[in-house]
Amino acid sequence: MTEVIIKLENVWKNYKLGEIDFLVLKNINLEIKTGSFVTIMGPSGSGKSTLMYILGLLDTPSKGKVYLNGQDTSYFSEDELAKIRGKKVGFIFQQFNLLQSLTAMENVMLPMIFQGVSEQKRKERARKLLQSVNLGERLNHKPTEMSGGEQQRVAIARALVNNPEILIADEPTGNLDSLTGELIMEILTNLHKKEGKTIVVVTHDPNIAHYSREIVHIQDGQIISNHFEEKRVLWLQENNNT
Amino acid sequence: MNNLKEYFKIAIKTIATRRVRSWLTTIGVIIGVFLIVTLLSLSQGLKNAVLQQLKAVGKDLIIIMPGDNIMTSLMGGNKLSEEDLKIIKQTEGVEKVISINYTSVIMRQKDNKKTVLLYGADWRNGLDVFKNDIGWSIKKGRWPVPGKNEIIVGSRVADEIFPDIKIGDEAVIKGRKFLVVGILNSVGSKQDDSMVGLDLSIFKSITGEIKGAKQAMAKVKLNYSPVRVAQDLKTNLNENRKRQIGQKENESSYMVLTSDKAIGMVSNIMGLIQAVIIGFASIAIIVGGIGIMNTMYTSVQERIKEIGILKAIGAKNRTITIIFLIESGIFGLAGGVGGTLLGMLFAKIIETYFQIHPIFYLKADVGLSLILFSLMFSFLVGCVSGYFPARAAAKMKPVDALRYE
Repeated sequence: MTEVIIKLENVWKNYKLGEIDFLVLKNINLEIKTGSFVTIMGPSGSGKSTLMYILGLLDTPSKGKVYLNGQDTSYFSEDELAKIRGKKVGFIFQQFNLLQSLTAMENVMLPMIFQGVSEQKRKERARKLLQSVNLGERLNHKPTEMSGGEQQRVAIARALVNNPEILIADEPTGNLDSLTGELIMEILTNLHKKEGKTIVVVTHDPNIAHYSREIVHIQDGQIISNHFEEKRVLWLQENNNT
Repeated sequence: MNNLKEYFKIAIKTIATRRVRSWLTTIGVIIGVFLIVTLLSLSQGLKNAVLQQLKAVGKDLIIIMPGDNIMTSLMGGNKLSEEDLKIIKQTEGVEKVISINYTSVIMRQKDNKKTVLLYGADWRNGLDVFKNDIGWSIKKGRWPVPGKNEIIVGSRVADEIFPDIKIGDEAVIKGRKFLVVGILNSVGSKQDDSMVGLDLSIFKSITGEIKGAKQAMAKVKLNYSPVRVAQDLKTNLNENRKRQIGQKENESSYMVLTSDKAIGMVSNIMGLIQAVIIGFASIAIIVGGIGIMNTMYTSVQERIKEIGILKAIGAKNRTITIIFLIESGIFGLAGGVGGTLLGMLFAKIIETYFQIHPIFYLKADVGLSLILFSLMFSFLVGCVSGYFPARAAAKMKPVDALRYE
């Protein structure tokens, strides 16, 4: 039986803007299994980003429970959640979200600092990861000196650096041209296929969804379908062809 | 903590990316610390200089000056009359009276003509007091013989004013020739080191100041309390003044100081001045601190997204607080270091100025405690100013911070 990493149980989320109450997520039930590659799809305003933040323990539900490896996270303090995020979750953002004042190496090493990894190990691992995303020559460049694709690859290296159990990517190709976007998706697909990483991609782009085995459609804060579309999964087709 | 080093690096890099603003913030602190260091080191130096002179004076000496407070005593042209000196001498407990007379004159030695402070000293009567109680000592040569045309010169006269003066040289003062017989060791006071001393009787005859004295020193007999004798002296002198010119009760025309009292007085005045200085300069530093706070709040506002990223990749609230505190602490400390260095430099410049234009020896006293105090104070101001912005940053919810555009 495949293990469930993250489980959302009757999750509701509402935001208060002045007097008005926005209901963003309505009774979401979702399980992310170890080794799965899940895409959360939906138009803007559908609540997919909020769902992603809750999955990544960056936000807490207004109602309902989030379980991580079977543990109820609502009892965790802010600092415990931060520690878990740093250790078990890797984030990849649409805007790359690198620290502008730091070099590629330093950006990648940052999550390890928060986990108390020794300097030598930090350097070794960061260099290795950057080399694995073909940025071996750009170690000491700052984000402003790099292209969007390069920045996103730095962000991927940063997300992987603490060897997280799950990678969460929010529109990872949204700010990239289609060719670079494909490259990024290939990296993610390879991480899934070769290293068995659990990956959750949030997107509104159907082309991106094709890389995934599981697609969760969300609209108006509700999951409208949660299905497995074998024929549309590119890498499965590739596998079948070979 | 090992991580502190890394947080420090992050803080430094952030500061470096906001160069102009960081400099302006730091300058705000520099000015405050600069003021503290300059003013405190100079006032401390001034205090040291005055106290050093006073401490050189023996404890059993009482100084008597005309005038009822220190300003009129030092600046006024009043003199002690012969009668005053007589009263002093007759007061119980007074062993001897040494009158102090000085005036500035032009002295010629070979082809050099310079102004010196001519000091009339009663060698016959008071040499032991000058030696034992005031701390004069001969570096070269000997003491003058009373009644002879012989002079001794202070260390500065020999070193700077007439650099090639030697024992046995001739010097001309008011048309009369004198033989230089001795050079004194420094007594630590620029004024005293610039003097030329000669016998009191000759001083009177060449200056025409025959009667009375500018000031007088009374040496107290053994087993008499200087404080008690000083009181008696004051009473006796004022009683006489009352009889003569009908001076009112409670009025005084004399300053009578034991050396302990003089030291206490100077310490009190200087302590007060220093407290005022610290007060005003602290305000300057606090203004600098508000500058830091302003910069840090702006910085937090600009970096909301960055804070979100840090939290997303595992930074705890405490980590964020520490990073921001380090930043503001750096502003404070850098301002402290800059201000201290500038302050020391400026104090040295003033010290040099006083060496070129001597009024008294003013040696800027930049002690380790002053440096540590300035650095600690500025660092503390930096941290305190940064605390609230840092807390504001740390308390942000990760999702709100990440979504902030």
